[in-house]
This record gives sequence, C-alpha cells and structure tokens, in this order.
Amino acid sequence: MVALVVILGLVVVGLAVLVAGLLRSHADILKALHDLGAGVGDPSESPTADPSRDGSRPNRPVAVPFTMGPQLPPERNSTSAPPIGGVTPAGDARAVAPAGSGGLTLLAFLSTGCASCAGFWESFREPGRLGLPSGARLVVVTKGPDREIPGEVAGLAAPGLDVVMSGAAWTDYEVPGSPFFVLVDGATGRRIGEGVATHFAQVAELVRRAEGDGTGFATDARSDRMVGLDGPGRESDNDAELRAAGVLPGDPSLYPTSLEDLYGPPDARMPATDRHVRRAG
Amino acid sequence: MVTMLAHGIGVELPAGFEGRIFKRQTDGPELPYAVAHFATFALPDGVGDFGSGAVTLMGEDDIFAVLFEYGPDSGGTRLFAREGMPRALSTSDFLPYVLRRGLPGQSGTQWFFTESERPFTLYVVLGSHARRSVLVPRANGLLARMAVGPQPGPPPPGTPWN
Repeated sequence: MVALVVILGLVVVGLAVLVAGLLRSHADILKALHDLGAGVGDPSESPTADPSRDGSRPNRPVAVPFTMGPQLPPERNSTSAPPIGGVTPAGDARAVAPAGSGGLTLLAFLSTGCASCAGFWESFREPGRLGLPSGARLVVVTKGPDREIPGEVAGLAAPGLDVVMSGAAWTDYEVPGSPFFVLVDGATGRRIGEGVATHFAQVAELVRRAEGDGTGFATDARSDRMVGLDGPGRESDNDAELRAAGVLPGDPSLYPTSLEDLYGPPDARMPATDRHVRRAG
Repeated sequence: MVTMLAHGIGVELPAGFEGRIFKRQTDGPELPYAVAHFATFALPDGVGDFGSGAVTLMGEDDIFAVLFEYGPDSGGTRLFAREGMPRALSTSDFLPYVLRRGLPGQSGTQWFFTESERPFTLYVVLGSHARRSVLVPRANGLLARMAVGPQPGPPPPGTPWN
C-alpha cells in the first residue's frame, strides 16, 4: 500500500514537471512572438498607446524573412521544364529532356518508402493498361542514390520502365512530396499540369484531356508546322464546308441583321424543359 | 546544362539533347562494354546499339548519336588506328548510304578511333540530309562537350559503399 502511494506520488510529481515545462515552452513562444511584434500588448489598451512604454520598440509589425525553398535560377519559372540528369538504378547515366521531346512527357516523382507510391509502382508493371495516349511517355523520377537505395528502386521498377534517380530534379520541379506528377508539353517546352493523385487512372485521364486539347490546334515541334488549319487553308476549307451545305456566296444567312436571323424565333430556340416550365408558371 | 558521367564517358549535354550511357546486362560469360546514346527526341526504351527502334522516330530536325565501345582486343588494330574522337564533323562527312538502316531523307557518318586506350566507333544520324548545314553544327556542339576517360576499374579498397 505504501509502495503504491509512493509510486502515485512520483507520477504526480512527474506530471507536474511536464506541465510546468509545457507552460514554460508556451511562455517562450509568446515572448518570441512579442519580440517580433505579433499580437503584442494588452488587447484592452489603445493601439496608439505610448510606444516607449515597453522601451523604445514601436508597436508595429516587423518584417520576418520567409523562404519556401531554394530560389529558382533566374531563367526558370513555375512552368519551365528543365532537363533531368541522373542515374538509373543499374548505375548507368540517364538524361531526359522533356521540353525537347516534341510529345507529352509525364514525370512521376515517386519514392520507395511512401505507402501511396506503392500502387503506382505496381501499375507501371503493366504499361499496356495504364491508359496513356500513344504519344505520351512516362518517366519515373526518384531522389538520387544519396537518398534512395538503388537496389530497392530496381526492385520496384518494372523492366523497361524509364527511371531516373535525381535529387536535383525534385528541386528543379519544386516537388513538395511523393507521389507527385508533372505533365510537360514538349511542343511548347512548358509544364501544362502538375499535382497529386491517388490512382493512376486519374492521371491518365488528365493526360488524355491534355492531348485532346492540344490536337485541335497544336504546333508540331518536330517540323514547326501548324497541325490545324490556318490562314488561306482555313478560309478555303470553310468555303468548301459552306458550299457543301448549300450556302453559296450572297446567301442571306451570311449577313444576319438580328438575333432571330442567327438563332431563329425565340420559341424555336428555347429548350423543351424551359418551355414546359414557362407554360406551367 | 545536364552533365552525364558513367563507364568512363562524360558529357555536358547541350540544350535539347537527352541521353543514356549504359552497359548491356549479360547472362553469359561475355563482357559488356559502354554504349552511349544521345538524341534530340525522346529516347525510347530498348534502343538497339546502333539506333534500331530510335531512328524511325526521328523528325527532320533531329540528331541521333552513338558512341559504342569495343573490347580491348580490338585496340591496336588498323580499324581503330585513328587517335581521338572526331569533334568537328563537316557536312560532307554525312552520306545517305552510310546508315545502318537506310531511311529516306536521313544520312549518317561513322568513325572508328581509339581514345584513352579504348577502341570506339562514333555513329551519327541526321534526320534530314537536306538540313545538314543546320544539324551538323548542333552535332558538333555535342561532340565538343564529350570526354572519354580510361576504363574505370573496381573501386579501391576502403571506398565507402555509399
């Protein structure tokens, strides 16, 4: 019984010390904030109170240097797609130039340790079922051999998967963590999308949309030709379409003077559901 | 500018180039030697030593270059008598029939040489022979930034594993 009381007493003393430490830590934080000028003073006091009250420090915000990460070189910005240089898990050298490749390049920043990356490593074992457009290539980027064990990367990477181990690429592309995906359009040399996903199907859908957006009027970097029609070609193509539809030069529909000329009478262009609601009302 | 270094071959890649410096994995007793591929287009996986699987993807403004090392038993033979890699090719060096795989419009050049006592062949393909006056200076820009050192040996005893 006495032993139990002694143990309980020791526990209480320990907890008291812990609470005292927390209070001391909290006081230190408040003091540091006070020194920086944040949330200082008694809220009941006037903000125009005498600044010399607590010495010579004025009661105004103080600029605090704040940096999110290493600054990018001046020639780069948030959409530039610098080349990636590193090594493969086998120790070979590999460099990828997404901006010069012409097509779409999907960069998958993965690591061996993150649980949410495991599904992606597994998905990449069946490249035929990824659902990426045929013109898009996939490149996996892990951190360098100083942060990742090449043998572990090799064990996760499917044969034939393009893997570059490069810590510098994570800095260049400002990767916040893994998994992270960056889509680069080689024709423009710019990043056109980036973000996080939980399943590769979501990423593949975004890539397909990006490719769909680009095919309508994209520049073909391989030949610097415009893939879509432009200029006189576009004009003659439009003329051919109109002639095929029976719209010849001088047709009144080419010279509308009112909205009705363009869209027809109001009742005719109103959606069926709208007509029903209006009649009911 | 990206620097690549592996198997005693180093290069500072000019803008627009990508590359791979590797040795083939072998199962048998054969010894693999260094192969380096450089391209101005997306290099696919599984490219053949001399560009099969890659040259068919080339556009008119593309360049593909191979640095292929032979075994030391080839050293000292007449084929590899030239000392040093050519680093300033001329437009007349490129011919449409100097191609491992003849593709319309393309042209190539091939050189055998020895550098740092290692026998090599350099093979360069242009996507368009008609545009060789533009493409050859770009290829020379790559060759000028390439260096070949002695065959790297095993790490000395006591080298940290990581």
